Amino acid sequence: MNYLDLNIEEIHLALVEKKVTCLELVKEALKRAKEDTNNDFEIILEEEAIQKAVELDKKDCPKDNIFYGIPYCAKDNFSTKGYETTASSNILNGYVPLFDATVIKLLNEKNAILIAKTTLDELAMGGTGTSGHKGITFNPYKNDHTTLIGGSSCGSCAAVAASIVPFALGSDTGDSVRKPASYGGLVGFKPTWGLISRFGLFPFAPSLDHVAYFTRSVKDASYALDLLSVHDDNDYTSYRKERNSVLFDENNISTSKKVGILKEVYDSIDDETLKTSFDKLVNKLKEVGYTVDFVSIDKKLLSSIYPAYIVISSAEATSNNANLDGIKFGPYYDGKTYQEVMINARTNGFSSLIKRRFVLGSYALMKENQEEVFKRAQKVRHLIVNRTNEIFNDYDFIIGLAAPSVAKKVGEVSEQLSDKYLIADNYLAIGNFGGFPSITLPLGFKDGLPFGVNLTSKPYSEKQLFEISYKIEEITGLRNLSVNNKKEGL
Amino acid sequence: MNFEAVIGLEIHVEMKTKSKMFSSAPIDFKAEPNTLIAPLDMAFPGTMPIVNKEAVRNAIRVANALHMEIDHELWFDRKNYFYSDLPKGYQITQQDRPIGKEGYLEIEVDGIKKRCDIERIHMEEDTCMQHHFSSYSLLDYNRAGIPLIEIVSKPVLRSGVEARKYVEKIREIVTFANVSDGKMEEGSLRCDVNISIRPYGVDTFGTKVEIKNLNSLAHIEKAIDFETKRQSELLLLGKKVQQETRRFDEAKKETVLMRVKTEAADYKYFTEPNIPPIKISDEFINNAIETCPELYDQKFERFMKNYALNVTDAQILLSNVDYANYYDKCALFTTNYQNLANFFISSILGYLNKNVVDIKDFNVEPKFVAELVDLLKSKEINSTQGADIFNKMVKENKSPLKIKEETGATLISDEVKIRELVLEVIKLNPTLPSDFKAGKTRAQGFVMGQIMRKTGGKINPAIANKIIVEELNK
Amino acid sequence: MKEVNKEVLKDASLRLMFTMEESEYDLLLDEFHTIQTQLGLMSKIEGIDDVTPMTFPFDVSIDYLREDEAKTPLNKEDALKNAKNVKDGQIKLPKVVG
Repeated sequence: MNYLDLNIEEIHLALVEKKVTCLELVKEALKRAKEDTNNDFEIILEEEAIQKAVELDKKDCPKDNIFYGIPYCAKDNFSTKGYETTASSNILNGYVPLFDATVIKLLNEKNAILIAKTTLDELAMGGTGTSGHKGITFNPYKNDHTTLIGGSSCGSCAAVAASIVPFALGSDTGDSVRKPASYGGLVGFKPTWGLISRFGLFPFAPSLDHVAYFTRSVKDASYALDLLSVHDDNDYTSYRKERNSVLFDENNISTSKKVGILKEVYDSIDDETLKTSFDKLVNKLKEVGYTVDFVSIDKKLLSSIYPAYIVISSAEATSNNANLDGIKFGPYYDGKTYQEVMINARTNGFSSLIKRRFVLGSYALMKENQEEVFKRAQKVRHLIVNRTNEIFNDYDFIIGLAAPSVAKKVGEVSEQLSDKYLIADNYLAIGNFGGFPSITLPLGFKDGLPFGVNLTSKPYSEKQLFEISYKIEEITGLRNLSVNNKKEGL
Repeated sequence: MNFEAVIGLEIHVEMKTKSKMFSSAPIDFKAEPNTLIAPLDMAFPGTMPIVNKEAVRNAIRVANALHMEIDHELWFDRKNYFYSDLPKGYQITQQDRPIGKEGYLEIEVDGIKKRCDIERIHMEEDTCMQHHFSSYSLLDYNRAGIPLIEIVSKPVLRSGVEARKYVEKIREIVTFANVSDGKMEEGSLRCDVNISIRPYGVDTFGTKVEIKNLNSLAHIEKAIDFETKRQSELLLLGKKVQQETRRFDEAKKETVLMRVKTEAADYKYFTEPNIPPIKISDEFINNAIETCPELYDQKFERFMKNYALNVTDAQILLSNVDYANYYDKCALFTTNYQNLANFFISSILGYLNKNVVDIKDFNVEPKFVAELVDLLKSKEINSTQGADIFNKMVKENKSPLKIKEETGATLISDEVKIRELVLEVIKLNPTLPSDFKAGKTRAQGFVMGQIMRKTGGKINPAIANKIIVEELNK
Repeated sequence: MKEVNKEVLKDASLRLMFTMEESEYDLLLDEFHTIQTQLGLMSKIEGIDDVTPMTFPFDVSIDYLREDEAKTPLNKEDALKNAKNVKDGQIKLPKVVG
């Protein structure tokens, strides 16, 4: 066993008790990162990480700072001062930001050690982990490069699942952390919209974007939120009221809560292995005191989540990425006119998928289409959020399988729009539509690949969500799951 | 057939806040290029906009001066288009819910008052500045993000002179409210004209032509008059007016074609998702209005009432808010208000004009100006001495009283001393009293001349005259 | 809704300042057909036009405005560091006309 295979809480204890040093941890993390062949990383910050570890080892690890000396990764769409940040897009090759994202700054202040920036679907616009400029990122549970880890936060997910780091930042616009977490056997969490500052996160669709992250335990997820949930004057949408602590007492968790299963999502899943595990979990939850019922959302509404999501996110994205023109940053292409300069940069800089999404988003916003496309999608969003809030009037949580299957094989899925949407493949976007806190937890295994369960709750109810998640973690026994620490689950 | 012009104006006013509309970068029009930039202003990924309170206050003040309905919730939208001067690829503006709507202002042309309806006023951000050279252009991002207010009139103006008066009035409001420098020539107030013509009595609209880049009041008037004539001639010849954008050629004094408009641009507006709706309280709005610097009409009334100036002088002082403000400051230190006005208009304005100095760069302490006015009024110094002291005062920003002391620039007003001098002259010329009494007034002038020569002109002439007459009559 | 064909898509992409290969436009056209079917279903959802379009996930209205205080700007070298075409402390482009 290596200390790096433990979770943050346990590593912290080892640091405090001087069983391990920051440098040992960082060196092991860097070694694993460099040996990794799954295409997890955009850049590895070897020198900087080692230098910081040496500095930190000069002092005792403070007991009240759980992130002290913890190696971590960040998705390469977080602005990092002085380190190239490309969002896995050629249009940002060579771009060196002048400032740190607020979350990077907060982690830095607590002396967590950033060891690498991770790969993503180009500009975070994808869900497969295949569209970044460095190609496919693979699932570490299969060492033959046959299986996807999912996206868009593919590199961060793969790095935590492979036990390279115990914590990695991602971003979640539709399900970009919570879905891959299912494929990687991890805790994937996004809080209420506005709790974590988005300043410095490259925007995909700001009304849906969330800073999110992967850990290998529920408690680690709560510690991370405790650190990252602070008001930030650089983000106008940052929550301004007083925040309650999200840290919970594991010995004092109330199970007299109500949990709703989305019936239509449940019914649409046909994988019996996953369903059986899910049913087991539901029974165990009932056994420990939870009330679990089926609840319902109009199937037409559920079927509209994906098109509404594609329309809204693509429309916002086409505007957010209009700053990428090669003039101020990124590769410059010459031309006879300024238009040619922009066209050359953007034609060469974006992949086909991105361009197609931009055209779609732009079409949705055109004057003659806006009512029937963009605004109608926003109305669908409103209806879905209204219905979800109705459910939350009666239930504390909504639960469901985080994905209808285990991770897909390379070549099995594409990012091309098709009408074969599975409701169960897209319903996690409800969490983004309504800004609800939402968490994915490992549940079980099929054919050597993990799968997860997702819980969503009403805004600002993160503590409750962590509490039930902790209970589930006890039920499944899947705390600290990684490729180095395989378990069975339900 | 006779045609009337239908004119609507879009005016952009650059605010003189300390920081930009959505970032904290400082604003200084004279700064070296690319030295006043926050990451947002160059659209670095991950930056986010935060609304400037003073910009909102300014917009409320102008909206109020234009009698507008003020929105109690601020919403911002993105206007999406690509242009070399637009760093983000969109401009943050207020398309759906402008901060003010449905207002008006009054202009006066040839003694006739006219109400001009105004559609909307909204806040937005400026683009970066482009400097054009023979084969390339250079971009300076200092201007990117400077707060703007845009004021859009309804198509209610009918002539070049009306349009000019309208812009004058807007400029007066934004300068008096201390919202903007309002300098057309420097681009802090920009005006785009939409103009069409139609036969009198018809209430449909003709084809609209846009005239851009008008950088003086005179150009607005001339461009509109030229354009009215041009369009009329086209229609009279049976030709059509093309929908196009034109600019005013200063040398030719006519509008020239920039580009033909094919279709209306589609800016794909949508709500700015990074700025939540901002509630504006009554208290905030009322406070902004109550603390608004005095506007023209109030100021004029006060100048007439408190300073009892003649109308023409008051108008000159109020022709530029900075004149009026400087006058106000001087008036704190003297009660010779009309003398102060005369002095300001002749001496100070004369100096500024002659040396091409902006009143803002006139650094003499107002107290000193007041001192000088009082000195002149009391006749303790004559106008020549006054001019000398003024020059020294401007150069050294020094108190006139001090200058007077140091240079001995003082008039002898001591009656005993003057009488001594007068008697000396009469003693040497004993026939003077009898000449004077015989009606030769030349004698009086002779004495004055003599004592002036003796003292180098430093005799208080009023007192001296009185004494000379007394002594010659003896 | 605007009719979608390849010309419309080409025009739209050019307005977004990029071009695509012919095959990409074909693919995109297929995708449009798919999404338009979906949009058609959306329009049939009960009560769809009884709600307002939602931009923000929940009521996020605030009353905060930033005080008008200038902060130290980027230094010029940093600001221009990422730009590849710079002349005399400014970003250079081919001459911009009209």
